[in-house]
Amino acid sequence: MGENYNELKKSTASQTGLTDVVLGWVILYIDDPEDRSAVSLVCRRWYELDALTRKHVTVALCYTTSPERLRRRFPHLESLKLKGKPRAAMFDMIPEDWGGYVTPWVKEIAENLTCLKSVHFRRMIVNDSDLEVLGRSRGEVLRCLKLDKCSGFSTDGLLHVGRLCRQLRTLFLEDSSIIEKDGRWIHEIAMNNSVLETLNFYMTDLVKVSFEDLQLIARNCRNLVSVKISDCEILDLVGFFHAAAVLEEFNGGPFYDQPDGYAAVTFPSRLCRLGLTYMGKNEMPIVFPFAPLFKELDLLYALLDTEDHCLLIQRCPNLEVLKTRNVIGDRGLEVVARSCKQLKRLRIEADAEEEGMEDEGLVSQTGLMALAQGCLKLEHLAVYVSDITNASLEYIGTYLKNMCDFRLVLLDQKERITDLPLDKGVRALLRGCGKLRRFALHLRPGGLTDAGLGYIGKYSWNIRWMLLGYVGESDAGLLEFSKGCPKLQKLEIGGCFFSEHALAAAMIRLTSLRYLWVLGYRELSQSSRDLLAMARLFWNIELVPARRVVKTDRVGEVVVVEHPGHLLAYYSLEGPRIDFPDLIFRLNYQRILV
Amino acid sequence: MSRASVELDFFGMEEQNCCKSRFQKSLDRRLSFRGLQGALSKVNPELIKSVIASGLKNPQGQDNVYQMDSNKSFSVPSSPKETQSLFPALPLLTPAARATSENGPEKAPLTIFYNGTVSVFNVPRDKAESILKLAVEVEGNSKNVEPIDSKVASPPSDRQQLLETLNGDLPIARRKSLQRFLEKRKERMTCASPYAC
Repeated sequence: MGENYNELKKSTASQTGLTDVVLGWVILYIDDPEDRSAVSLVCRRWYELDALTRKHVTVALCYTTSPERLRRRFPHLESLKLKGKPRAAMFDMIPEDWGGYVTPWVKEIAENLTCLKSVHFRRMIVNDSDLEVLGRSRGEVLRCLKLDKCSGFSTDGLLHVGRLCRQLRTLFLEDSSIIEKDGRWIHEIAMNNSVLETLNFYMTDLVKVSFEDLQLIARNCRNLVSVKISDCEILDLVGFFHAAAVLEEFNGGPFYDQPDGYAAVTFPSRLCRLGLTYMGKNEMPIVFPFAPLFKELDLLYALLDTEDHCLLIQRCPNLEVLKTRNVIGDRGLEVVARSCKQLKRLRIEADAEEEGMEDEGLVSQTGLMALAQGCLKLEHLAVYVSDITNASLEYIGTYLKNMCDFRLVLLDQKERITDLPLDKGVRALLRGCGKLRRFALHLRPGGLTDAGLGYIGKYSWNIRWMLLGYVGESDAGLLEFSKGCPKLQKLEIGGCFFSEHALAAAMIRLTSLRYLWVLGYRELSQSSRDLLAMARLFWNIELVPARRVVKTDRVGEVVVVEHPGHLLAYYSLEGPRIDFPDLIFRLNYQRILV
Repeated sequence: MSRASVELDFFGMEEQNCCKSRFQKSLDRRLSFRGLQGALSKVNPELIKSVIASGLKNPQGQDNVYQMDSNKSFSVPSSPKETQSLFPALPLLTPAARATSENGPEKAPLTIFYNGTVSVFNVPRDKAESILKLAVEVEGNSKNVEPIDSKVASPPSDRQQLLETLNGDLPIARRKSLQRFLEKRKERMTCASPYAC
């Protein structure tokens, strides 16, 4: 054994200058997936070491590989994140039965991935039986379960989780579509779990959750730090807040017009991340005592106007994350710029079209310029603007050097925009924000010329994900764009109506591209022969044709929603999938292998 | 879930691939049935059958409109859908079509989706054209008829309307969660108090 060991040491050492022992220690400190990927490519031994020691894997699209492949390469995996439906599912653009079933993955986890402690499914379809299998096989070791924007399961499935997964530190269900039968699942958690730290069923429409069970959880779980719940009258939570001594994060609500107000509510002393649904100007003062502590504030579902925003935000000098709607207005952004010097993430969603008819509740270049000069630590910015100029984008490029995720949507309320096209501004922004990894730009016809689209290609040296809407003028712009973007892995295009021919050519030129999604695709017209040009080895192409969906909205009105067609193309080691709904057409290139 | 996938055999490799699973083979059969003529929706297949029966020259002398070729025609119930999805024209693959078509130069498969069923007929081109004309007449101003001439396959006018509406005018997408909140808020504002509604 001694001789063989020395031989092995020598041979590996001579190749790489490092013995296995040394590498084995060093590699444990390498977490970044891109670094790990690079390590695994050096030689077979390093590949094996990486495979044995890799703790977490994110599979960005579950159809790019198979559960068996994952297990064969990473048998000792401890944490897995799987994503299913395209991002557009969050905007209601993907049929519910598109795919992304977790069942085959759960089967593999149950049978073979014995070290797995943390599971995160995002935008996938989960059945109650999947949760039961997971619970029975991994229930004793599972520490983290995240069903993130998932669907297909009911509270019966959660009952299994409550009964079987007693070591959960994190249960995350945010924004999932859950069929609610009763509130027994939360009672099971209350009875069985004493180590829960994060409980999140925010935005799930679960109404049968009893506040007494929440109180019990708060009493039993001494480390409960973050709780985000669906609708529960705040006054009922007084007991819960008393019990949750170390709570730092809370999202919930709603508030109603209570005759005695909310003076009886006292929040836990460490509370610093807060989101209160339907909080209006009358309820706002109850959070004022805590405002100086606030690190995160979620006003997306609050009922505050511009003035309220100003009053609240000026009290929050330590704010790092702010989410709200564009009712914050330019004036509110100026207050943010003055008060919130620690701000790292800012998301401003668009209010309903009927709102913001006065200019006060709109965000424009004025607010952006103030923000750029005031919040120099900003890393994530997502904003729906009503007006824009090149200068404001230049400001962002000049001041916000830490920006790594920038998303801008130009709303279509105003007919005339102050300063279009945005070629110069976009170029300045991209050149200035060198750390940018994610970039989204949704304009309107005339918003960006072909030259501007070319700039995006030329100056996005670090960008991995891009969403482009209504940019460019013609195929020439797309072709110019595709000469650049060296690291672009995932591209989403909407409303641009480039020809299939140009899309196919762009796909080939974008060297890192592994995922393409095109909305408003002019599919299956007579020129769709050009689709052939897109066909490639290992490249799956799926088409969902334009369709009309009839829905009944909350007030009982029948609404006909027209969904444009879209094309999805992605690399896969597994070939075309077979679990797609009738709606989807697949183009199959695999035949050529015969 | 009915397997209405379309595997477009770009390179005419079908005949060469013998080592296929049964599943794969059944998919192929359906492909060649469907052919490239597209499909009609909202046209009653019974009507079509009567048109075919009246005019079809049947060499085997059968009255049965379902030709028993090497490729069988059949009518299968498709999975129930909420909305009757429009079945768009398939991409044009005329070279491949010729390679895979085993129905002879005259007859090609015609697939009709109607009321939750799928019916496939083998008809010659002129018959198919007259069926379509008939469908147009019967439906009056129905805009859902697929033109038979695959060389100039334009999308059905209904879908064309859809495309025109959407062309250059995609609405700003909002996150589902935010959309739900905005609707709930509207509800709240229209009710005086939660107890009154």
